[in-house]
Order: sequence, then structure tokens, then C-alpha cells
Amino acid sequence: MKTALPTPPAHCTFEPEDWLRLAKCWHPVARACDIGAAPVKATLLDEQLVIYRVKGQVVVARDVCPHRGVPLTLGFHDEEGIVCPYHGLRFGEDGRCNRIPSSPDQPVPAKLNLLTFAVEERFGLIWTCLAFDAENPQPLPTMPHWDDEGFQQINCPAFEVNGFAGRQVEGFLDVAHFAWIHTDTFADANNQFVPDYSPQETEFGFIADYWSSVGNYPASSDYRAPEGFQWLRHFEMHLPFTATLTIHFPGEARLVIMNAASPVSSRVTRMFAPIARNFDLHIPIEEVHAFNLRVFEEDRLMVETQRPERLPLDLTLEAHIPADRSSIAYRRGLKKMGFGEFFLV
Amino acid sequence: MNDVLKVVVDGLWRQGDKNLAVRLVSANGEPLPGWQPGAHIDVHLPCGLIRQYSLTGESTTESYLICVAQESASRGGSRYIHQTLRPGQTLTISAPRNLFALRDDGPVLLLAAGIGITPLYAMLLQREATGTPFTLHYFVKRREEAAFARELSHSLKHGVCLIHCSSEGKSPRQTLAATIPAPGDGERIYTCGPAGFMAAVRDVAAAKGWPEAQIHSEAFAPAAPVAASQQEETFTITLASSGEKWPVPANKSIAQVLQDNGVAVPLSCEMGICGACLTPVLDGVVDHRDTVQSAAEKTAATQHIALCCSRSHSRVLVIDL
Repeated sequence: MKTALPTPPAHCTFEPEDWLRLAKCWHPVARACDIGAAPVKATLLDEQLVIYRVKGQVVVARDVCPHRGVPLTLGFHDEEGIVCPYHGLRFGEDGRCNRIPSSPDQPVPAKLNLLTFAVEERFGLIWTCLAFDAENPQPLPTMPHWDDEGFQQINCPAFEVNGFAGRQVEGFLDVAHFAWIHTDTFADANNQFVPDYSPQETEFGFIADYWSSVGNYPASSDYRAPEGFQWLRHFEMHLPFTATLTIHFPGEARLVIMNAASPVSSRVTRMFAPIARNFDLHIPIEEVHAFNLRVFEEDRLMVETQRPERLPLDLTLEAHIPADRSSIAYRRGLKKMGFGEFFLV
Repeated sequence: MNDVLKVVVDGLWRQGDKNLAVRLVSANGEPLPGWQPGAHIDVHLPCGLIRQYSLTGESTTESYLICVAQESASRGGSRYIHQTLRPGQTLTISAPRNLFALRDDGPVLLLAAGIGITPLYAMLLQREATGTPFTLHYFVKRREEAAFARELSHSLKHGVCLIHCSSEGKSPRQTLAATIPAPGDGERIYTCGPAGFMAAVRDVAAAKGWPEAQIHSEAFAPAAPVAASQQEETFTITLASSGEKWPVPANKSIAQVLQDNGVAVPLSCEMGICGACLTPVLDGVVDHRDTVQSAAEKTAATQHIALCCSRSHSRVLVIDL
């Protein structure tokens, strides 16, 4: 297998140093259930990718035929791999070229193999790392309860936002906007107060336990928490762009939402949202998808219109209020990773 | 910052209707340092605050027990413990220090009010274990808020425990005169509770002929008041680049003083939560008042100061500006 050199693609929208830092991290590029034998297109960090499955193995590679540069996502598959539509070259396991129709008996030179990237399948998603460093591998984010007994695993369709991943993730961590943006889905317009909370640094980023009386039942539901119930929202931020939120419902009921923001470019983000829960298991999965997409949709206008589009890691460039402790921890964490003061162009 | 210990919150439970008992165990499984009743520890809370709490319960090295009242006027410590602290969380604490130790084996009169029960409950258990006589008077506003009420209701072999409730007409004001007898031979008073309570104890005891040297007290207010008053004193801020220096009076922040003198300060939240004004410190001891830096950052060899809110323990602070 040839591993692509960690260089930013042409027309890259990121600063080269920031791109390289991001390329060393794992990002989701597709739902596992959407990847079969046929080539699927994805873009990560401005790099065009082709994703396909062959003999059970998932391959993520540059979407460029090494022969004459045609995107393989224009092609099709047979049982042995994906076929370039221009000259019929075929690519199988590990992205290796296994057929040259015009000279079937010629041995295949290594230069005809695809440029492939490291792949992991986890939480129902395909994760890839464009600059995998075997000496110093970055850990994949983790998700509470995904594999626990009694938990249902759900994966919402990907959701695209015309904004920077850092802004989108910061919105997911933001506890002060519930009463303003999410009142049609779960929050209460009359419950705006943000009780104090303290994020704690961890090896992967930080965690924050946020207690409040803001409920999480859908606004349309008849369920209400017992009088005085305090909801715990446990956030785990895996730098740079994946956060999980574990919502403690009354009793032992738990809902875990992963917000895995995939940076398509510095201005486009593809959101993946694996969900695990141990209650309401009878509700059709389509309804769960629809509800969560509504919640994410409520954030869209804010995330897409924030200025600057990039995330200022220089904290003097924006104002901060006590409700922002997670946002501040997020920016400090990114800064510690070495990202530029003004994160991404 | 010598002798810091990593501990894990092993359990949290109610003690009375507004106190929370917290059991801490060593994070690495080693026994914790031994301690004697009256000892306290500094607890470094993840929110950046450092608070002193008396150790209570049995004097063991397997775990430490503290008990924290829910303060309506909390400056953040008790609120954090009540609302955010959870079992399994790791904390940094200091080794126990004892400024309130029992002096000898003579008879003692223990006088507690409110959460001031914590060091005295440890003293009671030790006295009970060693078979030395004691009397404990424990003053609370309402019976339901008494901490360790169940434990204290067990029959005692070597001493007496009485709980007095203001709501039942037995406030310290009404009953201290009756509960403090004339001093016995070699008897000592140990008292802990709100400042007003301890002052009243001293007044009544003095009136009954107790020598000052036989009355021992410990304020359980979170920050040591002596240190607090020192912190508010004027100190000097010095710029490393130019050597310019200005006094920082109690009523002004370092940032204000710098701005008054034409020095640009990168400010954003102006309440120590965002870290925009964090500036390297080259010399001096920072009195950290921000809540953005972690406990590790505040105790690191390389120090940064939040100019908008922090102050100085040393007379001079040299910053990298």
C-alpha cells in the first residue's frame, strides 16, 4: 500500500500548517452503511476521496486514477474492485491496480496503485486519517455507551453546513443558546439561565458536566421530568472536531449524541451524528433522524452566518461570558494543539 | 506546592439537608498520609479554586472524609462541590496540616456550630476510641441540617453529645451561658463555627473565668483571613521590557493600572474566565484569582497571570510585557 504524502491538495482553503495538523487526526468521511462495492465520493480537508468496499475491506483513496487523472467516482464496480471509466483500469484491495485491459499480461507497476489513506470503521462511520503517523498514531474519538448492552445504535444521515467545523462544534458545546434557538424542539424560552459549570482538561481535550433544569424531551412529547429534576449533560470534547453529549434522563435513561464534524473544506462541514440510547426503543429510527436533523437545522443560520467564518483562537477578538467556559476551553485546547491564532483561512 | 496528592472522589452523600460528605481515596492506591483530628487539607477544585476543609470522621489513612455545607453566599467552592463534583472525579489536595490539634489528654469541652462540627466530630471519635472524657455541644439552626446526626445519636461510652437547635429555642445566644461551665482543672475548650459564634464562646468563657490560653478555635471560613487581607495590600507591578513599575492598590486590577499608564492590555471577559490577558510572569508569586487556568497551570513552573483579576502574594511581580 502506498500512503499519500502529507501535502495539502491544490486549491487548499487551509493554512498549510493547520492543514497538516488536521491531516494527522481522524475524521469521519461516510456512514459505514452507505459504503458498498460502488465508489462513493467524499471530500476531506479539500482532498477529493473515493471510498469503496472490496471483499469486506473499506478503501479510502485519492479520487484520481493514477493513469490519466480521471476521478474514479465516475466509474463503477465489479466483484474485484472499482473500474476507471476512461481506460478500464481496476483497483481492488488496498487500492492496488489489478487489471490493465489494454495489456492484460503485463505486470502492474506500483505507480499504478491508488494513493490510499488509513481507515477505521467505528460508531457506524468510516474514519480516515490523511497523514497517518504509525510512530505517533492519533487516537480515534470515543463514544460512551455505543457498545453497551441495552443501547440502540442509530446513525443519522450526514448533514452539510456551509460553515467552518470549529464554529459548528463550538455551537454543539454551547449551553446558552438552547433557550434561543432550540425552543421548537426541546428547550424552554423561559429557561435562559446558565448555571455555572467547569470544563476539565483531559488527554483528548476536555469534559464538562453541565447541570440545569432545561429538559430534553421533544417539545411535542407528553413526557415531563419530575418536578425539580436536574438534567446532567456530560460533554466530552475530542479535539479537534468531535464531541459527544451524554444526556442523563430521569432514571437510568441515557441518550448519547456524537457530533462528529468532518471538515470538507474550511468553509464546508459534513456533520455525522451517531446516537446511542437505552429507551424509547420502539420509536421508528426515521423519527429519531428527523428530530435530530431538526435540532441541527435550527443551528444552521447561526453557524453559517457567524463572522469571521474561521474560529478566532486569539481570545481578544471576541467577547466572552461565563456561559462560554466550554467554548473557551475548546479554543484553548485548539491553541495548545498548535493551530494558528486565527484558525483556518 | 510540595506534597500535593492526587485523590479520587470515592463517594458523596448527604449529611443533614444542606451538607455533603465527600470521601476521597488515593488515586494510586497508596495509603494517604496520617493525620490527627483538627487537621485540614487544601482542596484544589477543577474550577480553579483552592479551599480548605477540615478532615472529619475516623482518623484513617485509607480515605479522607470532608463535609461541605451548601453556602447560599458561596464564592464558588461549595457550589462546585454541591453541583458539579461527582464520584470518580480526580482532585488534587495538599497533605493534611494541623493548626487545631488537641493539646493533651485532659478533659475537653467541644463547641461546634453549623459545619464547624467537622473537626470536632473527628476529635469526638478519637476521644471515644481512646476512652478520654469529653463533652460536645453542637449548635444548628434546624435539627434537619445537623451533619453526622445519626452517628452522634449512637450511645457514647466516654463522653456526652448534645445537639441544640435555634428553631427549638436553643440558639447559642440563649444557651451558651448554660452550656459553658466554670473551667475544670486542666480543661480546654475547642470551638469551631461561624466567627460570631466563636466570639460569643470566647466572651462567655472569659466571663466564667476561662484563661485565654485554654480556648482553641479554628475559623472554617474557606480562605485564611490573614492571607486574604495581605492579598488586598498594594503590590508593585514591573514590566520586564522597560523596567517601569507602578503600585497596584487594592481597589484596582493590574490591567487597570497598566492601562492608566498607557500600556495596552489584551482584555476580553474582564472576569478571569477567558484567558485573553494571560501574561507570563518572570518573578514574584501570583495570587491566582482566575478560573480559566487549570490547577496544573496555576502550579506549573512557568506561571501566567490573568491581568484582569489576579493579584500578587509577593511585594513585586515582574511580568513579561
